[in-house]
Amino acid sequence: MEKGQHVGMADTVLVKHPGKLISLGLGSCIGLVLYDETAKVAAMAHIMLPESRKDKDTPKPGKFADTAVPTLIDMVLKAGAKKDRLKAKMAGGSQMFNVPGSKSGFLAVGTRNAEETEKNLKSAGIKLVGSDTGGNKGRSVEFSTDDWILVVKTLGTGKQGI
Amino acid sequence: MEYNDFSPLHLDAIREVVNIGAGNAATALSEMLGKPVVMGVPDVELVSIYEVSERFGPPEDFVAAVYTHGEGTFPCNLIFIQDEEAAQGMVDAMFISRMNTDGRDFPPEMRDSALSELGNIILSSFLNAVSRMIGSESISISVPGVAHDMLGAILEFVASIFAQSGELALLVNTTLKLDQEGTDIKGNIMMVPDPGALEILLSKLGVL
Repeated sequence: MEKGQHVGMADTVLVKHPGKLISLGLGSCIGLVLYDETAKVAAMAHIMLPESRKDKDTPKPGKFADTAVPTLIDMVLKAGAKKDRLKAKMAGGSQMFNVPGSKSGFLAVGTRNAEETEKNLKSAGIKLVGSDTGGNKGRSVEFSTDDWILVVKTLGTGKQGI
Repeated sequence: MEYNDFSPLHLDAIREVVNIGAGNAATALSEMLGKPVVMGVPDVELVSIYEVSERFGPPEDFVAAVYTHGEGTFPCNLIFIQDEEAAQGMVDAMFISRMNTDGRDFPPEMRDSALSELGNIILSSFLNAVSRMIGSESISISVPGVAHDMLGAILEFVASIFAQSGELALLVNTTLKLDQEGTDIKGNIMMVPDPGALEILLSKLGVL
């Protein structure tokens, strides 16, 4: 992949045009991008878990779906974006291991991450214009402000843009 | 108990558990392959959850992993993880030992099934030894799941388990390696306790 800003686990990173955001090896985590094409800004979060614990502070708001969404909104608005122009794209949230009959519900955390991210976008009134979640394959994503396309790469099946 | 409350004594106790578990797993693997297997010194360390997915190599490296969940007194996740090439080498070794062919002509499903069985034997032997150590009879493991995918994506799963309880991950892993010239076929066992389970383990060992 080309050079760009790497977004590590639980990070939130903002870029202004021309910029590129990259997250490698997403499994159950979600790579979520919010962007405004007119203001030419974009920000990505690498979400690990669906919900924050209300009784506990987290040093990294990108960690949870319910804290990442408002944080990203805040970041892009401060950088000049307008709320009603914001769009979202996301990828990830897979279930890496399929274990029949296992009592460990945590295997399905990817699905819950995707659902919770979608729910939080919806309640913030942000349009999800592209999404590639679920399944059982890991993904790498990159988002460029040149074309506002989220390129999703999987091992074995190649690349696709959403 | 938060992970930053763990003392060197606790980490030593966990290292000893892993040492015994991995020794048992090495013996089982060796019997399965009909070849000597050597094990490395177990690594037990506390690291930031945010560093886990890049800790063992580039996140896009192609790996094979077998996963099972141990249930009972000490509920934990066990993962046997290898470079894809090493995994195929180990499957070859198993077919050679058992059927006198490297099985390269066999369909991928059959090779995967062999890999899953290898993982199953390694991980259940590991857990059996742990279970005996803590005097528990009731540990059972789930059917194994196999993934061929990006290293980062597999380790993210590990990081997410620890992320539920805080900001630190207790990385516990040991290397098993086929002891023969001209090959570098190895794999790693990672033990990832369910949230709260390490306390049970440590108290059973009498160090908590």
